[in-house]
Amino acid sequence: MDELKFRRHAYGEPQSQDPEFLAAINEDSSREEFVNDLKFLDAKLEQALKVDVPDDLSDKLILRQQLTHHHSQRKKTGFMVAMAASVAFVAGISFSLLRLAPVDLGDHALAHVYHEDEAMTADQNVSFKDVNVQLASLKGLENSRFTQQPGEVFYTTYCDFQGVKSIHLVMEGQQGKVTLFVVPAEKRFMLEESFADENYKGMGFEANDAYMLAVAEQEEDLEYVKKEIINTFI
Amino acid sequence: MFDQWRNKNKSTTVNSDMLSKQRRYNSLVRALHADIYRYAFWLCGDKHVAEDITQETFLRAWKSLDSLKDDKAAKAWLITILRRENARRFERKQFDYSDVEQEQLVDVFSSSNEEHTEQYLLRRQIGKLDAEYREPLLLQIIGGFSGEEIAELLDLNRNTVMTRLFRARNQLKDVLDTTEVRGQANG
Repeated sequence: MDELKFRRHAYGEPQSQDPEFLAAINEDSSREEFVNDLKFLDAKLEQALKVDVPDDLSDKLILRQQLTHHHSQRKKTGFMVAMAASVAFVAGISFSLLRLAPVDLGDHALAHVYHEDEAMTADQNVSFKDVNVQLASLKGLENSRFTQQPGEVFYTTYCDFQGVKSIHLVMEGQQGKVTLFVVPAEKRFMLEESFADENYKGMGFEANDAYMLAVAEQEEDLEYVKKEIINTFI
Repeated sequence: MFDQWRNKNKSTTVNSDMLSKQRRYNSLVRALHADIYRYAFWLCGDKHVAEDITQETFLRAWKSLDSLKDDKAAKAWLITILRRENARRFERKQFDYSDVEQEQLVDVFSSSNEEHTEQYLLRRQIGKLDAEYREPLLLQIIGGFSGEEIAELLDLNRNTVMTRLFRARNQLKDVLDTTEVRGQANG
């Protein structure tokens, strides 16, 4: 290690433990003195750099952190509450909007017929009195009833039209079975006089306070059932 | 019921996580606040500003304590945060502290005691060093970092760091030697 390199190294890092540097120190006693001089300077520098630290600084640092932490945690829970509230709000709004949206009864009637395929094969021979009991439990149709048996009834159950409790009946038509839905009248329902898809034809009509939806394969059956209903339903 | 038990269990682990984080932070503060404060002081030259920067540094450290994987690297990590906070100070406030610092340093260290005269002088000289020479010296003496580590912290190459350290010591030694000579001449 030449003199210049040695001096640069000594000035740059007097405490260096680099073997090459240590060997260079041992080469010459004046070098050792030179390095010791610099080490002495470093010791002085170290003392000089040690300015007084405020006594309570570490306490202050911990206090500040804890205050901030506490604050942010409270903010976080506030945020969570706001989140939950807004989710609930949106859910509430959309649910009530959904309930107010107009409902196409025809589509629903067809969907129900497809959905409850067991209805078409059932043969429970239901009395009109049983149907009346069911009618009495429908909101808005408490006073409606059948005055006599409207032909044979094979099947009856409650069903749901967009949240409105209704009755699902399967009746005897002239040629085949007819599905009849008795739905309490409501403004948002759109009653179509006739509707159909590739398998079924449907008919909608009003009887007293109820919407009647008849679905069958044959048009004649619909007319037949309609007449029966008009005659027996009050 | 099972759910409740699980929730309780989860919240206790969260709590103990929180607790160990708090312990880690506390020991970090206790072990390193003096070095960090001193480094900040020599960076900005003002007691109060140094305290502010130290506060900001530790607060930021708390927020990202999880990102500190190796506790041995804590000092370098804190110094990186501190240097960023110091730089941010200049972005925020448009006035330059470096104009103030020499005056400030004179006020901070009174040379009341004879024995402290040399230290007072040295401090003044350190304060007068260009920041680019002072910082590597601080890192070496306060931080105890090697040339490579300083190079990495300051984003410089090692040779530049060694040159700056050389010049810093050279300037300080010169001043000290001349005052000694002058002192002897006066005596």
